[in-house]
Amino acid sequence: MMSSYFDFFCKNIESAEDQNTDQIVGTCNLMCPEDEINLREVERLVHVLEVWGMERKLVKSYSRSAADSNMAVPHLLRPYAVLINTVQFLLLEITRRKDVPASVVYDFVDDRLRAVRQDMTIQRLPPEQCVNLLEPMIRFYVYYSHKLSNLPLKDYDPALNKKSLLECMKWYLSSCDTIDENKKLDELSGLLSHLDLNRNTKLTNDRVLIESLYIVCNLNDLHPLYRYVHHSKQLRREPKLQLAYEIAITNLQGNYIKVCRLLDKVCPLTYCALFTYLPTLQRNALEVLSHAYNNKRLTIPSEVLVHWLHFADEFEAQAVCAHYGLKVEKHAVRFDKTDFAGDSTLHQLKLDDNKKLGSQSNQKFEISIIDIFTYTTSK
Amino acid sequence: MSLVTGTLNQYIQFVERMFRTSQGNILARLLSLRDDHVANRNLLSSDIATLVEGNCVAPLDEIIISHLLCVKSLYMKDFIDAYAHQSACVGSVVRLLQAQKEVNWGLPLMYTVCLDLRLVAQKAEARTPQSNGKILEKAAECLLACFRVCAADNRSSDADTKRLGMLNLVNQLLKVYFRINKLHLCKPLIRAIDSSPFKDQFPLAQQITYRYFVGRKAMFDSDYRSADEYLAFAFQNCHRNSLRNKRLILTYLVPVKMLLGFMPAKHLLQKYDLLQFWDLVSAVKNGDLRGIDKVMEEHENFFIRAGIYLIVEKLKITAYRNLFRKVYLAENTHQIDIACFQAALKVMGQDDVDSDETQCIVANLIFDGKIKGYISYQHKKVVVSKQNAFPPLSSLY
Repeated sequence: MMSSYFDFFCKNIESAEDQNTDQIVGTCNLMCPEDEINLREVERLVHVLEVWGMERKLVKSYSRSAADSNMAVPHLLRPYAVLINTVQFLLLEITRRKDVPASVVYDFVDDRLRAVRQDMTIQRLPPEQCVNLLEPMIRFYVYYSHKLSNLPLKDYDPALNKKSLLECMKWYLSSCDTIDENKKLDELSGLLSHLDLNRNTKLTNDRVLIESLYIVCNLNDLHPLYRYVHHSKQLRREPKLQLAYEIAITNLQGNYIKVCRLLDKVCPLTYCALFTYLPTLQRNALEVLSHAYNNKRLTIPSEVLVHWLHFADEFEAQAVCAHYGLKVEKHAVRFDKTDFAGDSTLHQLKLDDNKKLGSQSNQKFEISIIDIFTYTTSK
Repeated sequence: MSLVTGTLNQYIQFVERMFRTSQGNILARLLSLRDDHVANRNLLSSDIATLVEGNCVAPLDEIIISHLLCVKSLYMKDFIDAYAHQSACVGSVVRLLQAQKEVNWGLPLMYTVCLDLRLVAQKAEARTPQSNGKILEKAAECLLACFRVCAADNRSSDADTKRLGMLNLVNQLLKVYFRINKLHLCKPLIRAIDSSPFKDQFPLAQQITYRYFVGRKAMFDSDYRSADEYLAFAFQNCHRNSLRNKRLILTYLVPVKMLLGFMPAKHLLQKYDLLQFWDLVSAVKNGDLRGIDKVMEEHENFFIRAGIYLIVEKLKITAYRNLFRKVYLAENTHQIDIACFQAALKVMGQDDVDSDETQCIVANLIFDGKIKGYISYQHKKVVVSKQNAFPPLSSLY
């Protein structure tokens, strides 16, 4: 007995050349279907971010698929070109709005991107189109995981962010694998170089960046590294990807000092991803230090710790050490393995202007939010 | 009885007789894709279904039909079709087994059709690259249906229970999951076997296969002690003439043993044609980090294909330990300057490592228990224990 899925799959293989006839193609040419516009206007469900002065720019919102609702209605679905415009509008226009808190922008864009993914799923877009839609979404989730990392749980939930991020990443990477296997690599690189020309005005597709982010967003997991190892030699030799691999291996070997040094070499989004991992790294490093420098009399100066573990300043270094039960003196910390409280909750780092991307005082990354969504790593 | 030349009717009658007399092993051969009767073109009439249907007891007729249709598709080199028929065949065998209460003589038949299913699925997979593991995944689902029938048979006596067939199926499934790289699916299978009361009664050959895969899984999950245990069992019990299998096991056992501090002898590597490891062994022993990088580059493809590339990366830590031990022996003191370690790293090609990073490497070795002692930041010295400053690695795990 064969299940319907395999039947479908076999048919797919048979009719690989001719177009899928049972595919649903959306016919909605607006970012939001007319039905939903009317409904939301009447019910007063227009989001503040959809109001632009006198104008309204509504974007289809996410709604859970329920057993009694038919989602596969062409006039409610947006075709690829409209989806691209929608993602572009969300990331390049909405994120620039300053009149509402960043967490509100995040929630809004997150919801609308989810609706985009739903449209993609229902229409079963081919992998070549999926990657172009997913790549900017991944940037969005990585960037905001950093920007919002200090907010309380009620305003921003890192676990949900990670879930959406991983969903997009896995989809993106498996699409890339399918493309590779279909040996349409030439076409993709053609597409890539085409998009590179439009730098700073349009979204791009930077596979090397996403592959690197997949590694640095999952530093405690070996699977991204297994993936890296199985890449083609050409891809493995990409400097940015090699750097991400080096960071992961260095982290695996416990070399916290080198990881923190490599932080200076990474691109802005990789920095965002690593920054959310930094507390874990610091905690593990402090545990190692409290064993290795275990002594009742000797200390390590706090400024050395700042330097080693990428703390903002002496105060932060001392506060974090104290958080884990270590004895803090005037300008130094005394390490004693019996003091170290390994079961304390993970500390949080304050996100001051020096670490915030796009802020004026962060000289390393003077980068606008538009650039975050459009820069490419290959130069 | 010549099955190679007989007619379709003779074949059906013979299959039915074996079925009625509960001769599992012969029945299995009669429905195998790897038996001589497959060469008999008489069995491949143009209208197999109508000729067989009703001609023998159900569900045996369904099994025969699917089997012969599968053979036919294989002759036509249509592997997708062959897969569909073989998968239907397994489905019918599942129903047959479900109907057979309190007996397990049907197990050999199940083993055969399941093994054939995997082989056909592999063929189909190789011919349709766009499938990307989907066919094998489907095959695994079929095998799981068999597995459920076996695992649920807990009313029969210990001698007659189909639960004795579990390990054979688990091995098939492990092979599939490793091939399509879905290792997370192995966990429930391993749990089912480990908690089975028949754990140690399964045939030795099956146990060896099982432990080979479980060992590799443990290695993948960085649980090196278990990996060592499983793989060592597999290696010691594997038949001495199965050189290819022994070599396969060693490919994983050697790096695991090395991580645990046991270095292989050259003649062993020579015997099993695994000299790729020898350069690595000497580099790790000498703390030659540049040498490790060189070996990794040279044998990159071998290490990647075997899935041990990342383990080799981890061996660098062992190399650091060996290098620092040499420094300690040469200095012959219990207070060693960090600068000495740093100089040694420089000699080994690690030019960019400064005093801070050297301390960091030492700190990790102390934390892991590979060096007994402490670091003094103020004096830039490592103070090591007067006794057993560098305990043997093999004593640590």
